[in-house]
Amino acid sequence: MSLAYRAVDWNRQKRRYDLTLLGFLLLSLGTYIGVTLWVSPLVTAETLIIRGTSLTAILLLHVILSIGPLARLDPRFLPLLYNRRHLGVTLFVLALIHGVFSLIQFQALGDENPLVGVFTGYRDDYRLWSQGRVTLSQFPFEPFGVFALGVFFLLAATSHDFWLRQLGPSLWKTLHLGVYVAYGLVLAHVALGVLQSERSGIYPLALAFGFVVVASLHVLAARKEVKPDNTAGEFPTEGWTEACAVNEVSEGRGRVVTVNGQRIALFRHLDRIFATSNVCRHQGGPLGEGRIVEGCITCPWHGWNYQPEDGCSPPPFQEVVETYETRVTAGRVWIRSQANPLGTRCEGARADAAIPDLKS
Amino acid sequence: MKDEFYIGYLDRSPPGLSRRLRIFLGCGALILVMGVGLLASRQSPAEPGRFDFGQTPEWEGILFETPLPRLQVSSDGSNRQFLLVGAGKFGLPAFAQGHDGQRVRFRGTLIEQGPARMLELNDPGSFAVVDESRTSPSAEALLGTASLTGELVDTKCYFGVMRPATGKVHRGCAVRCLSGGVPPGLLVRDASGNGVVILLVGPDGGPLQFNVQWAARLLRAEGNLELRDNLPILKVSRLTLIPE
Repeated sequence: MSLAYRAVDWNRQKRRYDLTLLGFLLLSLGTYIGVTLWVSPLVTAETLIIRGTSLTAILLLHVILSIGPLARLDPRFLPLLYNRRHLGVTLFVLALIHGVFSLIQFQALGDENPLVGVFTGYRDDYRLWSQGRVTLSQFPFEPFGVFALGVFFLLAATSHDFWLRQLGPSLWKTLHLGVYVAYGLVLAHVALGVLQSERSGIYPLALAFGFVVVASLHVLAARKEVKPDNTAGEFPTEGWTEACAVNEVSEGRGRVVTVNGQRIALFRHLDRIFATSNVCRHQGGPLGEGRIVEGCITCPWHGWNYQPEDGCSPPPFQEVVETYETRVTAGRVWIRSQANPLGTRCEGARADAAIPDLKS
Repeated sequence: MKDEFYIGYLDRSPPGLSRRLRIFLGCGALILVMGVGLLASRQSPAEPGRFDFGQTPEWEGILFETPLPRLQVSSDGSNRQFLLVGAGKFGLPAFAQGHDGQRVRFRGTLIEQGPARMLELNDPGSFAVVDESRTSPSAEALLGTASLTGELVDTKCYFGVMRPATGKVHRGCAVRCLSGGVPPGLLVRDASGNGVVILLVGPDGGPLQFNVQWAARLLRAEGNLELRDNLPILKVSRLTLIPE
């Protein structure tokens, strides 16, 4: 959390995560270089670097885009989500190597500034395409790659929690949705570039397959996300809304319900029912899908903690989420529709309470 | 397994989750190797060129500037022709110009693909005129008029500096090379895909005036086809872009 910014500790899990990432990178680059040298032994080292890094980067981009929806669909993928920013920074480094080598290889040592030439090399085709005199296949592909690299830089540079704190979760999240813009730019870069040079049909098929996988996972995750919104908390009474049966919230577990269009996380802790905002202050993770660990609500995404009684992170951390009053009557959990002022302490309703008192 | 909850900042992850993740990652590694291997195996093979990067042996011969800059090296009673280009994406460098027909010596790097040979003059200090008298080039052999269709390539990259050196991916580089004065060539392929590069010059044998942005595009070149010291040269009277 964000009281102070110190060097990130590489604990055992983080080391394993990064070593696994390194292993996959070496596997991808090694396989590409080995097979290419086997089928085309005269290829130059520069080509191996440019193509090896680009292929690995685009595969990594698909992984990055898939982890979010995969973790929404199946919590067993959450360990992949935890250090996803490491994947993002690695992707930027790969894309940078690809970009720098391409710039040197294709644009440097000529009669034009490489940074200009990459945009203006065959500039006539911008105009000819807009006039319908050349097909889209002739449209320059290089600028799409440059813009994508710019977006990757922005995302990698702001991936640290320092920037999350400075920009605020909402703006930070919006900024990082730019990965979808970068994905579109990469698709255009590849479709207008290497797909116009290589004759095998496997490349457009692979690109289309990747897009279908990413899009399908997002649609499936979105459908799962929308479902509970349509079912919970439809009959508010005197400012209270019935949420669910008390036995639907297990000890130490959370549950997400929707009240007045707001997602609320219910928790059962020491046989009391607590309600907080479902949105983690860190990256908007779904608190209701978390657990109570050592007395604290623990976000499933990155493990941020909040005390169920007041929504405050345990000292010295300072994050706070909204809490809601709860009541249990006749085996049903009721939530007060209006959130408490931040930091308000709630006792939580006893899970075995029997007295209905909804008008207090 | 069902009760396990992952917290990344703890030292260990739950054992069931770890086991499942290891299986998932193992499968992922297998798919990665198969997928990358498949994609790599379907690449178009690189042209069989050669570029002796870093090697600058000494060359001596007669330098001819027209119709294309070349060095004629005599050995064992026969003449071998080496097209001449500068370092980077440039044609014959200024220090080597103005010596048409003179015997010169310099250090340079060999670029070679099949019968096509080229030298990169990358050491200005080594350039020296050995004999200031001027020799005339041998007469060309006229093969007839021709209309050829092929990809416009920069010969330096195609003969060996870059592999691969054709297609749209290489287009930006080819534009710069042609703009810098590297001799243009038309890569003409037969039905089985084997290519031969025809060197392009202007209708009067001087440098060809053309739009360098046509690099890597399919062109039709018409004109007189000649063989000069075994170099196939087309004196282009008409160059047309073929719509794709």
